[in-house]
Amino acid sequence: MSHTRPRRLWRSVAALTAALALSAGCASSGQGGAAQGNGQKQEGGDVTFLIDSLGDTWIPNNSAISSFQGHIWGHVTDKLVYVDENGEVSPWVAESWEQNDDATQFTLHLRDGVTFSDGSPVDADAVVANLDIWAKGRPDDGINPIGLFPKTYQSATAVDPLTVQVSFNAPTLGFIPTLGYHGSILISPETLALPAEEQADLSNDIGSGPFTVASWKEGDSVVLEKRDDYDWGPEALDHDGPATLDTLTYKLVAEPSVRTAAVQSGQAQVAYNPSPQELGPFKEQGFTVAAPRYLGFVNGFALNTQVAPFNDVKVRQAVQHGIDRDQILSTVYTDDWLPAESFIQSNVPGATDHSADFAFDPDKAAVLLDEAGWKAGADGKRSKDGTPLSLTLYPNPYLATSKSVDELVAQQLGDLGFTVDIQAYDVVTYGEKVAIGNPSVPAYEVTRSFIDAGTVAGVLTDANNGEDWFNLGQSDPELTQLGSEVASSVSTDERAPVLDELQGYVLQQGYFVPLTQIVQRLYLQSPKLKGVTYNGVAYANFYTAYLEG
Amino acid sequence: MGVTRQPRRAPRPYLTYAVQRVVQAVVVVLLAYCFTFLVISVLPGDPVTATLRNPQNNFTEEEVQRIVAYYGLDRPVWVQLWEALSRFVQGDLGVSLRSNLPVSTLIGDVLGSTVVLAVSALVVALALAFGIAYGTRNAPAPVAKALRAFPSLFLSVPNFVIGLLLINVFAFNLGLFQVIDSEGPAATFFAAIALGIPVSAQVAEVLIANLDHEARQDYAGFATSRGLSRSRLFWRHLLKPSSLPVVTVIALTVGELLGGALITETIFGRTGIGSLVQRSVTTQDLPVLQAVVVLAAVVFVVVNLVVDLVYPLLDPRVDLRGAARAPRTAAEQPLETTQGASA
Amino acid sequence: MTTITTEPAGSTGSAGPSGGWVPSALRRRGSRRRAPYGVLLSFGVLLLVLAWSLAPGLFTRQDPAHGVPADAFQGPSTAHWFGTDHLGRDEFARVVHGSASSVTSALVAVAIGVLVGGLIGLLAGFLGGWVDVTLARVVDVLLAIPSFLLAVVVVSALGFETINAAIATGVSAVAVFARVMRSEVLKTRRAVFVEASLLLGGSRWHVLLRHVLPNASRSVLNLAVLQFGLSILVIAGLAFLGYGDPPPASDWGLLVSSGKDYPLAPWLVYAPALVTIATVLSANRISRWLRNAD
Repeated sequence: MSHTRPRRLWRSVAALTAALALSAGCASSGQGGAAQGNGQKQEGGDVTFLIDSLGDTWIPNNSAISSFQGHIWGHVTDKLVYVDENGEVSPWVAESWEQNDDATQFTLHLRDGVTFSDGSPVDADAVVANLDIWAKGRPDDGINPIGLFPKTYQSATAVDPLTVQVSFNAPTLGFIPTLGYHGSILISPETLALPAEEQADLSNDIGSGPFTVASWKEGDSVVLEKRDDYDWGPEALDHDGPATLDTLTYKLVAEPSVRTAAVQSGQAQVAYNPSPQELGPFKEQGFTVAAPRYLGFVNGFALNTQVAPFNDVKVRQAVQHGIDRDQILSTVYTDDWLPAESFIQSNVPGATDHSADFAFDPDKAAVLLDEAGWKAGADGKRSKDGTPLSLTLYPNPYLATSKSVDELVAQQLGDLGFTVDIQAYDVVTYGEKVAIGNPSVPAYEVTRSFIDAGTVAGVLTDANNGEDWFNLGQSDPELTQLGSEVASSVSTDERAPVLDELQGYVLQQGYFVPLTQIVQRLYLQSPKLKGVTYNGVAYANFYTAYLEG
Repeated sequence: MGVTRQPRRAPRPYLTYAVQRVVQAVVVVLLAYCFTFLVISVLPGDPVTATLRNPQNNFTEEEVQRIVAYYGLDRPVWVQLWEALSRFVQGDLGVSLRSNLPVSTLIGDVLGSTVVLAVSALVVALALAFGIAYGTRNAPAPVAKALRAFPSLFLSVPNFVIGLLLINVFAFNLGLFQVIDSEGPAATFFAAIALGIPVSAQVAEVLIANLDHEARQDYAGFATSRGLSRSRLFWRHLLKPSSLPVVTVIALTVGELLGGALITETIFGRTGIGSLVQRSVTTQDLPVLQAVVVLAAVVFVVVNLVVDLVYPLLDPRVDLRGAARAPRTAAEQPLETTQGASA
Repeated sequence: MTTITTEPAGSTGSAGPSGGWVPSALRRRGSRRRAPYGVLLSFGVLLLVLAWSLAPGLFTRQDPAHGVPADAFQGPSTAHWFGTDHLGRDEFARVVHGSASSVTSALVAVAIGVLVGGLIGLLAGFLGGWVDVTLARVVDVLLAIPSFLLAVVVVSALGFETINAAIATGVSAVAVFARVMRSEVLKTRRAVFVEASLLLGGSRWHVLLRHVLPNASRSVLNLAVLQFGLSILVIAGLAFLGYGDPPPASDWGLLVSSGKDYPLAPWLVYAPALVTIATVLSANRISRWLRNAD
């Protein structure tokens, strides 16, 4: 074996280094500015939407609330009502509706002439079949119920071909808004009768939406094409007839930088979930950044009040005051994000501004911790009776920026004297190990959308099979009382003041630590793409969209 | 290749040898299937239960139990293994827990892409390896010496770094290929380079070692003394005996191509077996993972079986006890190659 | 497949017809020669990386987990040798502090390979018979599954943490060690002096400890060094795919993986990549030198 001269080896390394450096230099001098459109609306056109995942199964009930597949369902299917980004409910396939005085019975009047893409009508029988499957699923056949569909659902009946009556066994004010939630998609009864394995093939899933599935490949792409006879879009969108665009291609591209680069070079029109910190240069070049907020909870921590150190209200408040939300916004996000004002997003009807209750004030936080008996040691870390003031954060895998946010929170709380660990899991392990109320999870990171503020009542305590976010059970009578008042409200006017009081109470008790308002769906778009609308759960709708020449 | 046989025993007839090898291959594939099942079943948790227990879904315990029963995940591990195994023997790979689609459909859809990638990578690897090997014997001394460092360098660079570098330079800066057109010929070519470079290193190492070995043989020295040029010596005399062992190296790197495809396909955004594994691993989709592992094992076993069965016919020097197949061991174990070659 | 049953080339090449282990000529040649500069440099690199992992505080004063958000995305400079990341953390500090888990986990992986694989090979080679047949099938299965795929499957079963990635990498290396150990054992067992020792009534254990193990250890050590470099690559690959510890941990593969999301800050990819390459290259160089010096 002849010996390689060592110098050669290192020379090769040097050559490689040079190549790397060269490419590094080139990286910053990428393509030029964005091609602006000429302002002329084009008929037809094809839009490519780059997405980071296409989710798991395509069984409609099991996938409709997926943050990824919801995009496709939103174009292939219709809903009974439309909910806009301010939580305003308006007619869609249901032209009008009534409810009885205690909000236990609802009557839906359907629009005439709506058909599924196989030609069958979207009539009362079809709607009843859908309501039943949303509420109950077919668990023995592997078809889940829709999460968040009111558990108070009793039955639905077709009064006549265009009228449906729905009954609940308790007041359910949230029913109508729920019909506009991403889970409540209308699917042909024939599809609903198929076994799970066949429903999992997207080509078999028939909807009544403005687009139909032209082709799809698991883990790769979904191609939609417009339905020419579509003429029943939501009134609120102010667009008649079929969609303008001819096709819509959802293509899976896992790397955020590749997605944005492809939009930059004009190979695609939309990049979903770009990394927020990369957006600055794109905006300067004229690209559109859409950061619609969904209706729901803000991003923040639900604290477990039964485990140390959060069994002390002062420590909980110290965390609230110890977090510098402006630093999170400026480091992890861009100015498209807003700080939290409450524990629900400020666009939810009934949300009120309580930001003073948890304003960033490190001095106050330090005093609170001192008062609670957690004294700082020589290294700045606090402890009480030899127990360190420690905390483990579990970044929520459903929010891309969660790790970065938690790293920053760890840093900020570390300055206060906390010892903070971060344990990140993939979706499956997270579901397995990180549960609300688990003693090893002191702070559960919340990212959750909802359509109606009444949902809040279902998470506060364990009353009525509630989720009990703060692990209080029903030990806090005031919280339990406020929760049940919200749940049993029969009108939004009656509910609003209670909701305001509830938000104030939860925040003053330090049960919830808000971080920022959440933008779980972020879009980078070509400047030629216009007219995109966003619904209450922040999905981009291309029914109204068009391209400029 | 009887493990228990002492090398001093008389060579067995070819047929016995062949039958024994085939039986071994089948046993290995079945064991690989069970092994994967058991390894993954060690950890509690599956995609179904994880989704169902997501508090956002708010399902009742009864609903969860019924859905889990639908997937058969409520039964004891050994019952699940037995059922999976009996299905597998009949050629049924089961249904994906993640996508609810038949595993055979999932794999069938993406297999083509991975085969194209792997074959292209192999071509790239061979071209590079032979190029480097040729250079070490025919290029001017400094270049030849530098070339000898390449296999070692290639083996030291993480393949994800090669992939990122290629994308950065050739896609983002030079615009030679589009990453979103991930299955196009240009993108496939660069993905094949990323996947092929580490493999080329192994082929080149063996090739260089064997060339060195052949060049020291008497006949080579004799040919040179009679005025044969280095290039002619290479093509006429050295290349053929040195290349035969490469067949065995290729057989052994087939598995590596599949393993490397995991990273390469992810980086280049290709929809192949590798990215299917990625999606299945993060959701613990056991039936898919099992099927892919078995597929990899089958490919590896079959390719090596073919080589093992054909090799004795090609090269009479190989004795069926397996003790004398130096080139083959060289391929598996570069350590020994150079020992053998320098001895 | 067949690997455990084949004899290494070394035996056919360097050993006499009896199969004895007589590499004296080689050894003499090796011991006379001084280590070349490249090898010394390689040792230097490995020592530096080892020092980083043992006492990272000596090499950087910056906190790897605590950055100044206002200083995010600064290019390499004298203040920040490798620049800063998206949270304004010093990338050099992160690489240095990340070496502990990168190097340690590679050592854990090698240890698993040496111990488990070595034991399997030893038992198979020394006991022979049905033990050998059974273990051979186990090793065949491990060999038939591509090692990276095997590591991915194992780590997904154990959970996504760096230590589990190390164990998975170790498991995927078991077969290689088992094969080498077995062939070394067989070679030594057949050596004249060992047969003589047995004939003279030496116990099997005595033969094992006095003759078989010392002879096999050289090849195993050599392989261990090579495997150390490979393990760093495999673990980096697993970390790159997100199967190791999450941020703020700073394994090299993870640094590359999170750095690739910021194409405008390419140093976040290249700095940890070059450190990885230098380390693995050094391990390979040393392994090669050991092999030739044997």
